[in-house]
Amino acid sequence: MTKKNTNMKLKNILTIFALGSAMISMNSCVDLDTAPKNKFTDNNYWTSQLKAEAVLSMAYSQMYGADYYFNNEILSDNAFNGRAGNNEYKIMMGNAEPTNARFSGEWSTCYGGIKTCNLFLEKVDKVTDMNEATTNRLKAEARFIRAFLFYRLTNWYGDIPFFESSITVDESQVIKQTPAADVKAWVHSELNDIVQYLPTNKTQKAAERGRITQGAAIAFNARTYLYDNDFANCEIQCAKLIGTTEFGTYGLETDYSKIFQPDNEYNKEVMLDMEYVTTYRTWDQMRDLAPLTAGARLSNVAPTQELVSSYRMLDGTAWADGKGYANRDLRMDATIVHDGSSWTTQDGVTSTILTSNTSTTMDHWQGTQSTNQSVTGYYYRKNFDKTSVVGSFAAGLNLILIRYADVLLMYAESLNEQNKLTADAWNITVKPLRQRAGFDAAYCEFPGAVQANLRSDIRLERRCEFALEGTRVFDLRRWGKMDGKTTVVTGILHGDKFASTGTAFIELTPVSYDKFLFAIPQSELDINKNLVQNEEYK
Amino acid sequence: MYKFNREKSLRRTANKWTERVATVLFFFFVSIAVSAQQKSLSGTVLDESNIPVTGASVLVNGTSNAAITDVNGRFTLKNVMPDATIKISFIGYFTQNLAVKNQTMMNVVLKENVRVLDDVVVIGYGTTTRKNITGAVDQVSSKAIENRPVANVTQALQGASANLIIQQRSSNPNDNAMNINIRGVSTMGNNTPLIVIDGVVSNTNAMGDINPSDIDNVSVLKDAGSAAIYGSRSANGVILITTKTGNKDQVPVIKFSAQAGIQQPKMLFEQVHGWENAIYMNEAAANAGSSLVYTSAQIQDLYDHGDGVPFQDQILKNGLQKNYNVNVQGGSGNSSYMISAGMFDQRSNFVGPDYGVKRYNFRSNLTTQIGRLKLTGNMMYTRYENKTHTGDTGFIMVDCTRVPLYYYYKMKNDDGSLYYTNNVLSESNPMGTLEKLGTSTSDNDYITGNYSGEFKIMDGLKLKGVLGAEIRSDHRYTRQFPVWYATSLTATEATYKGGAVTLPSNDWSGKSTFLNTQLLLDYNKTFGDHTVSALAGYSDESSRYAGITVSKTYVDLDLGIPVTTTKVGTDSKLSPEDFSENSIKSFFGRANYSYKDKYYVEANMRIDKSSKFAPKYRTGYFPSIAGGWRISEEAFAESYKANVGDLKIRSSYGILGNQDGIGNYDYQTVYTMYNNTYSFNNAATSGTGFAYGNEALTWENSANFNIGIDATFLNNTLFINADYFNKQTTGILLSPVIPATFGGSVATQNLGTMQNRGWEFTANYRLKSGDFNHAFSLNVADSKNKVTKYGDEKMTTSDGVGFIIREGLALGSYFGYKTDGLFQSEEEIANSALPLNGTVVPGDVKYKNLNGDNVIDEKDRTVLGNAFPRYTFGFTYNVSFKGFDFSTMLQGVGKRDFIVRGELIEPFHSSYSYTMYKHQKDYWTPENTDARWPRLAAPGSKSNSNNFNHQSDFAMESGAYLRVKNVQLGYTLPKNLTSKVGCENLRLYIDAQNLFTLSSCSFVDPETSEFGNNMGGTGGQGGANSARNYPSLKYYGFGVDLSF
Repeated sequence: MTKKNTNMKLKNILTIFALGSAMISMNSCVDLDTAPKNKFTDNNYWTSQLKAEAVLSMAYSQMYGADYYFNNEILSDNAFNGRAGNNEYKIMMGNAEPTNARFSGEWSTCYGGIKTCNLFLEKVDKVTDMNEATTNRLKAEARFIRAFLFYRLTNWYGDIPFFESSITVDESQVIKQTPAADVKAWVHSELNDIVQYLPTNKTQKAAERGRITQGAAIAFNARTYLYDNDFANCEIQCAKLIGTTEFGTYGLETDYSKIFQPDNEYNKEVMLDMEYVTTYRTWDQMRDLAPLTAGARLSNVAPTQELVSSYRMLDGTAWADGKGYANRDLRMDATIVHDGSSWTTQDGVTSTILTSNTSTTMDHWQGTQSTNQSVTGYYYRKNFDKTSVVGSFAAGLNLILIRYADVLLMYAESLNEQNKLTADAWNITVKPLRQRAGFDAAYCEFPGAVQANLRSDIRLERRCEFALEGTRVFDLRRWGKMDGKTTVVTGILHGDKFASTGTAFIELTPVSYDKFLFAIPQSELDINKNLVQNEEYK
Repeated sequence: MYKFNREKSLRRTANKWTERVATVLFFFFVSIAVSAQQKSLSGTVLDESNIPVTGASVLVNGTSNAAITDVNGRFTLKNVMPDATIKISFIGYFTQNLAVKNQTMMNVVLKENVRVLDDVVVIGYGTTTRKNITGAVDQVSSKAIENRPVANVTQALQGASANLIIQQRSSNPNDNAMNINIRGVSTMGNNTPLIVIDGVVSNTNAMGDINPSDIDNVSVLKDAGSAAIYGSRSANGVILITTKTGNKDQVPVIKFSAQAGIQQPKMLFEQVHGWENAIYMNEAAANAGSSLVYTSAQIQDLYDHGDGVPFQDQILKNGLQKNYNVNVQGGSGNSSYMISAGMFDQRSNFVGPDYGVKRYNFRSNLTTQIGRLKLTGNMMYTRYENKTHTGDTGFIMVDCTRVPLYYYYKMKNDDGSLYYTNNVLSESNPMGTLEKLGTSTSDNDYITGNYSGEFKIMDGLKLKGVLGAEIRSDHRYTRQFPVWYATSLTATEATYKGGAVTLPSNDWSGKSTFLNTQLLLDYNKTFGDHTVSALAGYSDESSRYAGITVSKTYVDLDLGIPVTTTKVGTDSKLSPEDFSENSIKSFFGRANYSYKDKYYVEANMRIDKSSKFAPKYRTGYFPSIAGGWRISEEAFAESYKANVGDLKIRSSYGILGNQDGIGNYDYQTVYTMYNNTYSFNNAATSGTGFAYGNEALTWENSANFNIGIDATFLNNTLFINADYFNKQTTGILLSPVIPATFGGSVATQNLGTMQNRGWEFTANYRLKSGDFNHAFSLNVADSKNKVTKYGDEKMTTSDGVGFIIREGLALGSYFGYKTDGLFQSEEEIANSALPLNGTVVPGDVKYKNLNGDNVIDEKDRTVLGNAFPRYTFGFTYNVSFKGFDFSTMLQGVGKRDFIVRGELIEPFHSSYSYTMYKHQKDYWTPENTDARWPRLAAPGSKSNSNNFNHQSDFAMESGAYLRVKNVQLGYTLPKNLTSKVGCENLRLYIDAQNLFTLSSCSFVDPETSEFGNNMGGTGGQGGANSARNYPSLKYYGFGVDLSF
């Protein structure tokens, strides 16, 4: 080979190499300007109703959650967190410090949802393919959710940072609290104003079921007045829903237990609920509430004897020790599982649940410390979705936030507290609920206009009707204030009669829940020096 | 093929010999003609251990009269003038000049020349020698990596280099989670160093995929002087891996090595006896005011029956580990090659269907020279197979150890047909999970190609083009099944359907491609006393990833194929959903100047443009300068050099960058649509979340100052270097601490600054005494981290352990209450501040009231410690004696804190654990007031809440330790024996790993860390610091090395 040839060859090789490199570079090079493929940017997002609705759906999901729905019950005398140590347990024991994660969790989830609502309200007008009525309806839904969230905040914390449009980071670091009364006034006015843009549950399209309706806005408004013991206004709101169908058509289910069944979602009693759907969006709290032989993992929270005791005999007399579980208010068995209850699993297998200390099944009571079993001998039943997944208990059952029964009882209570509850009003409110609960006819009748007696009747009715639905704590707080109490729940809660080898009621750790408000989260106080801690935590 | 080559090369060698003999003869005759008074001279050349030196050259000075020593070290020279001097030289030994002085017999002893300063060291885009280095570079040779029973390179590098801090978070073969930090924590983001293999940037996974025995050396670049050439990704240091190559004209060598051993799981804590536990449980209940849990008859029953086998002992077993490698190296006139294959197989210690990992490695490194063009092609293929259970390793471990040793707790009946649940483990048991729940199998293919052409344009000037490609194709298939359990020991059939009742199956497949093209111009020339070198380059890197996931439930029980009722899972993903790409384009350069090997100056610069940033903030500049001064070369230091050795000081300063941990699109505000966020009318709907971007995002910068000293002593047998560094990282990407009132997160910002200072000391010493050859290597280092700018402090709590990021403190420090022993009397309690709403009795934990008010609350919290290792060290010792060799490697940490969580601290932890452990027996009672642990009180009680619900130093242990990481004893059979069977070398050895550990905490492995390399990821990564941890492993094995 001559030298020239060698050089030629070299040049060829170099050329091929250079070309090869260049080709590979060009073909596979990632440009410096890249854009995400699975996400949208501000520029290309607000283009359609579908996209706008997706932001609103996010807000819906942030409105409330199954975790607090169930855990709120721990904050009352209805249920006890047996596997000691969750955030609500600490609050109940009086051990909650401002660093408690429930305090910060409630705060941040609410403000997170508010942020989504504000963003939606600020950007939705960019979408041009929607008609005005739809835009207004969607806006009204967002405004409802925002009002709902601000109400959750002020109801738990009292005075809170309040704003009607997105705030900047800088603003969030210095914002002062707005008095609770002002926030509530705004909530009332928002709820009043949006009704005009919303459909009723009858005019709403089937596909839209689960979205906010006029009835939901009004019923929620009633509830916000009720929690303030503002009975006059509460009455006004409730009256819009009783004896008229202008704002929606509601009624009572005939069978109490059917209200909470997956095949009876959107029944005529539902006014506002959290939407779930099998496989796709589920909740699974029942996995740690149901009996162990029913496939649950453990019993995290257990109904108390106090709740069980409150269910009367069918003849209307109060239950007393020795009277057993038979012939009781039908709502008891629809709500809780006791020793001897029957349970049908998702697979359709029916068995008797034996919870006593002498039982040999996994459900048997094993003490109040260090146990997977119920510490009270009672388990949950209400909201058990028989179509949920075996094992994981992933349930698609909607969780109801406001039922028509609540409107009826709010109405009755409002009238009574204004000392104007009549037999007629009783007959359309408390009576049908007692009838549905299976009581003897005599007990369903108006007992006479003695305000104090009616008050305790209505309060008992609320407890039994809405037990384990996450609202008892709010009633306890407002009644406590009304009655001039200094504590929400204090003393020893109990379980079934399994202690001391079956001769005494189980005594649980004494609770000392004496604070009517949550603490402003320590993490917020640390950053925003303008926030003032609630008096009880100073 | 091999035989052929070998014969050929023997022939070649023979030809050379003929040539040489001819030359010698030629001169022989010529010399005869010149003079007749010459005599012949013969002798023997030996080394200091009196071993004959074969192949040394013996030359009569001023002539061409020369000889080469034979296998016995003997030489003979004819016609040597009586007054002549002869020169004896051999590579690796000091050349000697000796006067003949009429002798006819001369015995020469050659002294070994330890030329540590001429060692070639691999640096960024090139090589240099130890004496020319101005930056902080450590080089780890293949010796430290080969023959170690390690699963990957990272494990092998632990303790090998000062301030290369490697922590193994879990010993689980299927996981092997490792942290790598160079010089401490330099950012709050990812601290993983840049990995470069044979000049091409790779990712950290590569450290797990490359075959350790393919590695020739590993350079660790620690300072700006050495790392700035890698610019925007060098702030965490750079690890350069160079693989083995053949040499030109090398006789082919075939090396085979095999290694096998067992790994024993070692539990560090154990449950107390069953009957003991029942008594403790009663005591805890009584102390909490609850009724007793066990009657005395029940306790007697437990005592009479004795303990059951601990669950953990039933699910753990010894694991076999095997490693085979074969490697062929050689070369001819213009080409060289290295071809290797390896197999690594590590079995899991869990029972079940043969869990474990396998790795197959193939590599070919080829080089050929065509005139002025040198072509190199390196190719690697790795296949990695991982088979693991589908439970949660942490839960599997902790579920075992939470069960008391009562005889009536069983996981399985004797004939293996029934699995049991019990009141502790009510929905599954670890044995059922491991054996029946299903498996997850991965098979990952990883191919790298690295091609370069180097063209010599003129003397000293080279142009080099590099094309590097890395293709990773990962696949994982997971299948799960229901597991049937019997709910009581008397049951004859399993009635409870646990496990994965929905029969889920999941297939994931991801493909990553990485391409790197480089063009380099390299200039290197010496003009008299002046040496100049310069490098300029351009590099273009592109990374792309796309993955798909298919997820189905209710598939066919046997085949896993879809049936009518099969549902497609919502976590299925098409490739646009699981996609990312980024690129970096860079210019870089280096200029060196040295004068008389005495003064050195070097400057580096890299300009990077990254797709992760908005155009305006995209470009980063990363310069560095460095200088060195070999004092020992100065005239005034002549006697120092002669009597002591070499001495050099060097220093560097520069700016390094970091962009790791910054997302590809973080500068853009994005809306992400999530499926199934909400539903209306029982139809799921998508929901959109949004994340704010920050247009102004840019690189983190780290200003690095380094000053170091290199010195040799004792005739170059002792080599010491020491470095001090000061690193200031600015613009650290932070999510600012904002009030939750804002309603969401804001984009990260370049807000934080951090300081890292420290030092390194390394000493290498070689000693020969008689037949013993010793080599010692020690490295010690420290780094001290301090957050200097953060804004509002950030406190987090994870599993009852508090952490804080606060200016002035080391990143991620433990934060909580200080304890002051245990309360001893009611009087002491009455005179002490107590937690809000707290009620305590003697024997409970007492907290220090730091702010002096009357209550123990948040304000009394303080910094408790830090979990980053300080004073890390490694020590290796090798000694050989005749055919025997022994080596050991020690590694450890001088200072570290860790807080232990859960049941290992709290008896009957939060109603999850039902047993106490042996190390907890020393608890307070009125008779045992000087106890380590507080009195027993059941969960939920006020005492329990006082003692365990406060984040305190009560659970803090020292993480300082010294571990005998590796011990190896080998024997090389004598050559005359092995050569008979055609073997060049045959060595047998036994070895052990993690043989022995010194630590003050008996129940947690101090090496495992629950943190990532940025002190983040708290909350039990791999379950470290808790009963969830996979047990530590001890390895005992043997091996054989064979070469032909």
